[in-house]
Amino acid sequence: MPQHLKRLIGVFAVFIILFLILHYLLTPSSFGELGHYRAKAIPENAFKELHYAGSEQCSKCHEDIRKDKAIGFHAKLKCEVCHGPGLKHALYAGQFKAGQLPDSLLLYKPAERKDCAICHQFNAARLKIQFDTINTSMIHQINAIEHNPFDKITKVEFKCIECHNPHQP
Amino acid sequence: MEQHLQDLYEVLSKVDGYVYPNEIELNWSILIVLYPYITGLVAGAFILASLERIFKVHILKPTYGIALLTAFSFMLVATMPLISHLGKPFRAYEIMITPHSSSAMAIFGFVYLWYLMVVLLLEIWFDYRRDMIIWAQETTGVKRFLYRVLSLWTTDISPKAVALDNRIGYIVTVIGIPSAFLLHGYVGFIFGSIKANPWWSTVLMPVIFLFSAIVSGIALVMLIYILLTKVRKLKIDMECLDTIAKYLFYILIIDFVLEGLDQIHRIYEAEESFEVLHKLVFGKLFFTLFFMQGLFGTILPLLTLGTFQFYKPKEKIRKIIYLAISALILIGVFFMRWNVVIGGQLFSKSFYGYTSFKTGMIGSEGYLMAAVWLIVPFIILSFLLWLLPPWKKKEELPETQGL
Ligand code: HEC
Ligand code: HEC
Ligand code: HEC
Ligand code: HEC
Repeated sequence: MPQHLKRLIGVFAVFIILFLILHYLLTPSSFGELGHYRAKAIPENAFKELHYAGSEQCSKCHEDIRKDKAIGFHAKLKCEVCHGPGLKHALYAGQFKAGQLPDSLLLYKPAERKDCAICHQFNAARLKIQFDTINTSMIHQINAIEHNPFDKITKVEFKCIECHNPHQP
Repeated sequence: MEQHLQDLYEVLSKVDGYVYPNEIELNWSILIVLYPYITGLVAGAFILASLERIFKVHILKPTYGIALLTAFSFMLVATMPLISHLGKPFRAYEIMITPHSSSAMAIFGFVYLWYLMVVLLLEIWFDYRRDMIIWAQETTGVKRFLYRVLSLWTTDISPKAVALDNRIGYIVTVIGIPSAFLLHGYVGFIFGSIKANPWWSTVLMPVIFLFSAIVSGIALVMLIYILLTKVRKLKIDMECLDTIAKYLFYILIIDFVLEGLDQIHRIYEAEESFEVLHKLVFGKLFFTLFFMQGLFGTILPLLTLGTFQFYKPKEKIRKIIYLAISALILIGVFFMRWNVVIGGQLFSKSFYGYTSFKTGMIGSEGYLMAAVWLIVPFIILSFLLWLLPPWKKKEELPETQGL
């Protein structure tokens, strides 16, 4: 074989070996143990910090609100959908008296117009009309700009919750 | 009004009718238009080079080297639009480390690597090895060192060794043609195989992509060749240019017929998606499809090149027209990619609505980024033409000519 072909094959061999070495070094150690993915990804995700408590936890202390909510239109909404993740709150709020919760344990109270509009603002893509019947899984839409924006006399902006009880709209 | 609601209004003002929430924003933007475009230029330029080498159209000799180097410089950049489109570009290599056979993109990585390393690199190396050794003796300094490294410090330029180089180069080109078809057919396949999208999902897609790729590649080499002779103040080889134009004409016909066939098929079948596509074509795609791609990119070049087959105006005029035609075709094929990639995302898969597409100038997905990836290959090409000028190649010995 001529000298230049040998060199060329040598260069290619170096490239291939380099690729194999990189392949070996870069493949995650637990890859392929359980399937075409990193087996360690499962415990990694399992040990991630928890943020949500679940509505059952909330009703332990806020049974009144759960009862209110259960008969209203928002019955199917979980508390943390509106109030945000509340695990810390659920674990530690019990140690404080009413009105004395430290800031770090306070939850968000979605009282602004925009908060309700996240779900109720008119959006053609979210219409769901089933056989013309009222279905509680279908979100009623309003145009937040036109739907009772402010008091006609005082011209002060209305909040949605001034007319609708958020827990029992 | 609340900022939040205003944002929502702005988003919703982009859509007409019923659109699923994940269809409002186009996820495949201008960079994904560039990716099939650039890969297509590679495949096309290579096919032109192989016309000279395999099909022995020796009139095309002046463009052989240019075509190869063009293919190579664009190939180096072909994946860059994809990578800069990624949210985490530095993890792009993972696709090659743990590829899955069901991932079309992972397999593309290997098709790409095969084409770059085994076809283009080898063909150029075997083609230039003898010259690099000779040039290394004639030059000094950095350039000499580069030639030495690139020729792997080999010195054998005996007729026997050169003949062997030629034979291997020939074999590589023979393998290269199906590889070029594979490379670009594959890009078409990636779109054509998305069965949820009626604008993309057709078995003709790989073939259409392939032929428009060849058209664009040939047009690019033609453009570069004309500009290059202008810059070097040489007389252009008109016979060569006419031959390129002839092939361009033939392949443009095939491309036009295939694309027409695809559309006629759609119109005649008139599936449930037809109405939404019909409105798309006559609405949001009207300008880019009928004017940019159809009239300027296809019909006009087709008529001009067709006329030239019977009647040839004076060389000077012909040259200018060739320049204009190749530019038009390049723009036309770009908009063909645009119409496929962007068009396929403009309508809702519910068939009841449309969204619209806006891209800014800046940002990792803006027009500037796209422009960068279109300019970089030309910079690489200028460097390659400086380092490996095809016109400075020493004439080969007669007995080794064309194996
Ligand atoms: C261990 C009992 C307990 C649990 C469990 C609990 N809370 Fe509370 N929560 C409290 C106490 C105590 C207060 C303070 C009452 C006050 O200040 O009037 C409070 C106050 C609140 C407030 C009002 C805060 C404010 O700024 O006024 C909200 C909202 C709230 N809780 C939501 C939740 C949600 C959602 C959950 C479920 C994730 C939950 N709570 C679980 C005890 C609890
Ligand atoms: C639709 C969103 C929504 C959901 C779902 C919701 N809340 Fe509320 N919640 C609000 C709003 C808005 C306020 C603020 C009311 C106010 O400021 O008058 C509030 C206030 C509260 C308060 C403070 C008490 C008060 O009257 O000011 C508590 C406690 C509370 N929510 C608990 C809950 C619990 C427990 C659940 C689940 C059973 C729940 N919320 C579900 C929107 C919601
Ligand atoms: C997480 C999404 C979500 C948010 C946030 C939300 N809602 Fe609702 N709302 C619903 C759903 C789901 C229903 C039940 C389906 C329906 O009746 O539209 C509902 C029902 C209602 C209804 C009854 C509509 C009817 O059927 O007549 C009113 C009124 C209402 N919400 C007001 C509010 C107000 C006020 C707020 C802000 C405090 C709010 N919602 C926030 C999801 C939401
Ligand atoms: C001035 C009091 C008032 C305010 C403020 C107000 N609403 Fe209402 N809302 C009503 C009344 C009354 C109705 C029932 C009559 C109707 O459908 O217009 C209603 C109906 C609704 C409905 C049911 C519509 C349907 O199609 O059945 C929704 C949802 C709703 N409101 C959401 C909101 C949201 C979200 C806000 C804040 C952006 C808000 N409302 C602010 C008084 C109010």
